[in-house]
Amino acid sequence: MTVFHFFNCAILTFGPHVVYYSATPLSEYDTIGTAVKAAVVYLGTALVKLICLATFLKVSENDSFDPYQELLKALIGFIDVAGLYFALTQLTHRNISQNHKFQAVGLGWAFADSVLHRLAPLWVGARGLEFSWEYIFQGIEANANLVLNLSLAALGSLMWLRKNKPKTLIPIIYACVGVLATMPSIISYLRRSIGWHPSKVVAFELMSSLVMAFISWQLFSACQKPST
Amino acid sequence: MTGRQRGGGEVVCSIYSVLALVLILVACVELGDAATAVDVYRLIQYDLAGAPYGSRFSGLNHHAGSEPFAPGADLSRTVVILPVRELNLTLLQEYITGGRAIGGLLLLLPQDIGNKIVGGNKNKDIGLVRSILSELEQLLIHANLPYPVYFAFENDKTNAVLADVRRGDAAGQPASAATGGYKLVVSTAEPKKVSSPTITNIQGWLPGLKGEGTTQLPTIAVVASYDTFGAAPALSVGSDSNGSGAVVLLEIARLFSRLYSSPKTRGRYNLLFGLTSGGPYNYNGTMKWLRSFDQRLRESIEYAICLHSIGSSSNELWLHVSKPPENAYIKQVYESLSDVAKDLGVTVGIKHKKINISNPRVAWEHEQFSRVRVTAATLSELSVAPELLESTGGLHDTRDAVDEAAIHRSIKLVAESLARHIYGYEGKNINIFADNSSLGINPSYVNSWLDLLSRTPRVAAFLSKNDPIISALKKELSDHTDEVHVQHEIMDGMFSFYDSTRATMNIYQVASVTFDLLLLVAVGSYLIFLFSFLVIITRGLDDLIHMLRRPPQRKTKAA
Repeated sequence: MTVFHFFNCAILTFGPHVVYYSATPLSEYDTIGTAVKAAVVYLGTALVKLICLATFLKVSENDSFDPYQELLKALIGFIDVAGLYFALTQLTHRNISQNHKFQAVGLGWAFADSVLHRLAPLWVGARGLEFSWEYIFQGIEANANLVLNLSLAALGSLMWLRKNKPKTLIPIIYACVGVLATMPSIISYLRRSIGWHPSKVVAFELMSSLVMAFISWQLFSACQKPST
Repeated sequence: MTGRQRGGGEVVCSIYSVLALVLILVACVELGDAATAVDVYRLIQYDLAGAPYGSRFSGLNHHAGSEPFAPGADLSRTVVILPVRELNLTLLQEYITGGRAIGGLLLLLPQDIGNKIVGGNKNKDIGLVRSILSELEQLLIHANLPYPVYFAFENDKTNAVLADVRRGDAAGQPASAATGGYKLVVSTAEPKKVSSPTITNIQGWLPGLKGEGTTQLPTIAVVASYDTFGAAPALSVGSDSNGSGAVVLLEIARLFSRLYSSPKTRGRYNLLFGLTSGGPYNYNGTMKWLRSFDQRLRESIEYAICLHSIGSSSNELWLHVSKPPENAYIKQVYESLSDVAKDLGVTVGIKHKKINISNPRVAWEHEQFSRVRVTAATLSELSVAPELLESTGGLHDTRDAVDEAAIHRSIKLVAESLARHIYGYEGKNINIFADNSSLGINPSYVNSWLDLLSRTPRVAAFLSKNDPIISALKKELSDHTDEVHVQHEIMDGMFSFYDSTRATMNIYQVASVTFDLLLLVAVGSYLIFLFSFLVIITRGLDDLIHMLRRPPQRKTKAA
């Protein structure tokens, strides 16, 4: 019965990635290679982040919110953006359209993130007899994370791969990227400092990811139109 | 090229095997992540002359339930949780003797039974709980229960679990695999018989002052049994029965060792102190101890005073004898005791009970002495001889069942009467062990030993030869007496005990199977919805319909 629960949470956490890959034209154009490369880049980025965190961060005794530490963590979060830049621009991809490139990179990025952060707790915790809502919340978080990463990849591709952008939209693009990059810090701030209930935090994540996805979609389609 | 392929194949094979091994290892990782873990103490399991008694199982893995149950409910996979405070004994009778099959029983003991309470306003409640506990204990130890029975102390976590279970039951949903609830799991090995349980007798010898002749000095023996028996052997501390007797013996030994330390004050009697084991089992240990005496020692014993349960607050003590009270020795012992008792404000009555040699039941310790023709009497607050396995120190017999003032009185009583007899001051108005003198009773000594004994469960079968309490008692006696001798014997074959007396119970909050199924349906439909949504957005609705229609078309093509 409890392996059943593990199975349920696993398909909630990892299912959407697989579904996204198979449902969209990504599967037709065989972009799996791009996704795998993006996942490997994520792994490298995570290692670099770990080293930076270990070097620069102090371990606090109590669980309070230290603004200086959180600022440092947010700065280190920008390494994520750098990694995404590397994945989008530096890796040689086969001839796939820009549209599909950012989707594949975002998908691979989000999948690696889910596996690294959520597989181990799921395996160890969800198989026990004791039931808790934690793993279902984690699965919903993974979904929100997928959407966030896709929007971040879209905006990233806009910033670095598209050369002709309407001038007015550029600051908005940069602002959105800033918000997306600092999203993890915002979430941890809500969870630890203000102490929101996990369900509220998850709901906030879902809402914010949908909002950001909508905004990026608008920006992307606005940049698709030939500039007048 | 084939060689290289084969080499590559081997590498892949080894990688796969390592991966499989890692997966198997990871699958075996089982972390204990229960909502709560509670210390539980198992009901005693023993055989008496081959007949099984007590709870015969120890492993537990069932759902929790509590009263009231629907009349025809199937409880064979339910653990019934009963708080002792609100115990209905007739209901419990139904489970125990009525043969109603249940998966297990968890009895919740109130916290304050275990601790020393200060203040008198809880006395009435505690008294009620104590009487319920002693009745419960007698019921449980004489029953043969084919399911595990555990005792646990109430705390916040268990109260929360019980409240939840009651709420669930009231809503008409008894906990089972289909409806969720709480699962109680105790994973211990099956109980095994304790092989050759030992009983340990500790004796201390304080020799008297030998006169000019080489005649053997007479001996007076002071004896008390120190082991207990109760429904929960890990909780059987027996403060009154017979921790009080052991403490009185130790204090008397200390006082007389002071008196006997200088030859000017040494009496012309030897003193023999005996801490015996095997008390609840017809004073088996005392019999073996007496058998080990040699003839001269046995004949030199003028009389023996046995101490049993002299610690609770009543002003009445009884001297139980097996020789008729008109007997000269008995008369003398009784008179010396009642003389001192008058000064202390205690009444000592005398009770005569003839011994029947053919009856194996030995109700008092002095009866073992009488069987080898030594004059003996037992001083106790109990007026009636206890039955087998009664008044042997159980769940209700905790530290606050003992009144320190009563113990001091008992010490004074026995010590004064002994001293007056030894030094020939019978009938004289003298206070040898006056308070606040150098021979006064030391209250902190008495209290600290009482506290120690009230913290140590002392069921003989579970005390090894080198158990700390036995070593402590031996060391204490050797401090006060000249020669200490420890005798280890195997307990008589009539009683056999089974181990596994304490365990940890994990309480898990489990979700029902229906919940998991619903979750599966929800997640599945979400994924299907996501899939169709994405297909429609990116490829158009027609593609979706195409995808659904394709398999049947293929089939017709193949046909």
